[in-house]
Amino acid sequence: MYKFSDIIAEPAIRAGFEKVRKYFFLRESTYDMSNRCNIRCEGCYYFQGDKQFAEENLNESDWKQLMEAEKERGITFVVLAGAEPSLVQNLCKTCYDVIPLGCIASNGLNVLPKEIDYRIHISVWGNDKTSHEIRKAKNMLARQMENYQGDERAVWVYTFTPVNIDEAREVTKLLAANGQQITFNMFSAPVGYNGHLKHSPETLAHTRQVMSELLTEFPETVLFSPYNIVAHTHEQGLHDLFSCSYPRMNPSTDIGLGRSFRQYRTDLKWDRAAACCVPDTDCDDCRHYAAGSAVVTARMYRHATDPQTFSAWLDYVDTYLAVWVKGYQKSENLCKELIEPPKETEN
Amino acid sequence: MATDMQQTITRIADIIINELKLEDVTPETFDADLDLVDEIGIDSMDLATIALVLRDEYGIRIDEDDYPKLTTVRIIAEYISTKLAEDK
Repeated sequence: MYKFSDIIAEPAIRAGFEKVRKYFFLRESTYDMSNRCNIRCEGCYYFQGDKQFAEENLNESDWKQLMEAEKERGITFVVLAGAEPSLVQNLCKTCYDVIPLGCIASNGLNVLPKEIDYRIHISVWGNDKTSHEIRKAKNMLARQMENYQGDERAVWVYTFTPVNIDEAREVTKLLAANGQQITFNMFSAPVGYNGHLKHSPETLAHTRQVMSELLTEFPETVLFSPYNIVAHTHEQGLHDLFSCSYPRMNPSTDIGLGRSFRQYRTDLKWDRAAACCVPDTDCDDCRHYAAGSAVVTARMYRHATDPQTFSAWLDYVDTYLAVWVKGYQKSENLCKELIEPPKETEN
Repeated sequence: MATDMQQTITRIADIIINELKLEDVTPETFDADLDLVDEIGIDSMDLATIALVLRDEYGIRIDEDDYPKLTTVRIIAEYISTKLAEDK
């Protein structure tokens, strides 16, 4: 067993640790902004379960009050999601005016004004043919790229499903040619979903291979690391691998996400029993990029076993920050190998 | 024994002051019963960092499930003392 002081004595590791620890102050919560969307995708997280039926609160003053209360209880980073936040831009701006660090998850078909200076995650589910079949919207990538041309807020989030794995190359190539960046997500089945988008061991392995190739071929375009690839394409889901720290799976309210995380619905209410970044996802099948960003990051202690494992964790956190925090620049990955996640008992 | 405990408390306070870069407090003046989460604002990542430094210092393993219990310097000192006794 290495001492932690020995692990971080290596200059590159120390530099990486000092770089990411400046962001340890980030404390997130997520907010459904509207119960409407301008498209309807198969397997959409939002339109599963009860939250889609919550009443919309469109009152700016109520949102301002909520954000001020959130800030007061220590929230420093907001994720504005479901169903489509760009349909309520005034509310997004209200949030931004109170808590200026955050991210908006959007389908990218409406442009969010520059004055809302959050990171913007633009969802992409394959090439435009597949996207049309699953999302029922034409020319999505072309429209997204045009809408966010040269916009440093934007990062594309490619959700791998069993039917679009090889299309990731085409999409990545297009974004690279256009000077834009991409990160990877895994389709994670909503509770009760058994459709054709659910991953199997074979499609996980295939996805792992394609992700690895793209990371090697497009290092300036792809915001990911070898350890991200392992964590998100493992046959075990994130909860099995890392023990999810969101309230939905974590009863502790003492510290960390279990203490501070809330997921507000459009009526500005939240429910601890459903509080995670992707409510209504089947936890056993969760490989979602947003979940990993919190769940893997929270497990620093168990990764401090040796320089390679800790480097892999640093790469993951560096990736998470580059994907979620506007202006954060990703460093070169320190661990090039696909290493197995450590078990809690190994440390 | 009381002196040992006091030394441990002072050393833990020193580590916390150093890791969190706290000002206007010394290991000797640090209130060992101050709630690190509620009153200092320590978060889970800070606590993980401190746990790693304590692991180095005392050669003990801290279970991930035990993190939430380590809310004051005195509690941490007692935890370390228990762990060291178990390892003997």
